[in-house]
Amino acid sequence: MHMKLRILLADDHEIVRRGLRALLEKHEGWEVCGEASDGREAVEKALQLNPDVVIVDIGMPNLNGLDTTRQLLQHDPHFKVIVLTITDSDQVIREALDAGARGFVLKSDAARDLVSAVEALQNKRMFFTPRVNDLVLAGFLEKGQTVPRNEAPKLPTLTAREREITQLLAEGNSSKEVASLLNLSTKTVETHRSNIMRKLSFHSIRDLVVYAIKNNLIQIELPPPPKTPAGPTAA
Amino acid sequence: MTIRILVVDDHPIVRQGLKTLLEGHSDWQVVGEASDGAEAIEKAKDLDPDVMVLDVTMPRMNGLEACRVLRRQSPDLEILFVTQHDSPQMMREALEAGARGYVVKSNAARDLLAAVEAVSQHRVFTALNERSFPQLT
Repeated sequence: MHMKLRILLADDHEIVRRGLRALLEKHEGWEVCGEASDGREAVEKALQLNPDVVIVDIGMPNLNGLDTTRQLLQHDPHFKVIVLTITDSDQVIREALDAGARGFVLKSDAARDLVSAVEALQNKRMFFTPRVNDLVLAGFLEKGQTVPRNEAPKLPTLTAREREITQLLAEGNSSKEVASLLNLSTKTVETHRSNIMRKLSFHSIRDLVVYAIKNNLIQIELPPPPKTPAGPTAA
Repeated sequence: MTIRILVVDDHPIVRQGLKTLLEGHSDWQVVGEASDGAEAIEKAKDLDPDVMVLDVTMPRMNGLEACRVLRRQSPDLEILFVTQHDSPQMMREALEAGARGYVVKSNAARDLLAAVEAVSQHRVFTALNERSFPQLT
């Protein structure tokens, strides 16, 4: 008897998870074994359910998709992760590859590409959008290098814990709320917060939010431009 | 009486999710889909839905612009925004553009059905996350 391919879905929008589930369960032989609405829950459920494939949205609260991928693979390098993202910038692609994702799919193309991505991982292959293939050809992934030398990061690197805390603070959580989410004391969170601000030479939460957006710790969708008033009509 | 619904979002996965949720209701029918504001206007003309579930940020023509056109073109159509933008300011703009409802995508699974029910009866339905309320003061 063929065992079904078991898939864990992680996206903070239930509407998106429903759409993904409807798409994936049309495929005979696949089943969605669980869902998670943030990265932390995704890691817990993956460890409980041991899915064959984990599909993670990059932009999730509490723990974003890239850090979720890193944590999953630290626990067990055999997890196969497909990252879903609204953007395919060079930086996001590099980070997803560095984090160990085996698949990279744009959300806008998920209806077209996700099934192919899961099939690829099922057959022990990787799946990336054409843009990622361009990066590979450009030599960004030669010899394990994912950042060209002349584009080395200019900011100090944060530890994994510091990245987690940066994301939670940028999402609007107080130090006390962060402490509760991460099972730490408020004092420990405050210490991490000071270290983060000092390392990055930031003076305000606003700086932190901008950093979190630029470094894909949180993803935002920009609102449409404001309505411009109609100009004078030509005579 | 069946409520006929047009679903508009630039992400097919989101449209699928919305459709799955809406079609669970026995008296509702998703009569069509569109992926941007311009297509939404065309399809509203062809299909004459009762309710449009509409995203804000879309290519070619965004939801707010589409809503303004639809208000003139299809005065009986009720528009419900389902959007990422958890913002009182955006919600105000949406209502000023002529929408009857505004729901945040992250809570769509919880709020959508009640929202469609309300706007189909020409009642206003808005729901933001609590965190956004302090911005009103």
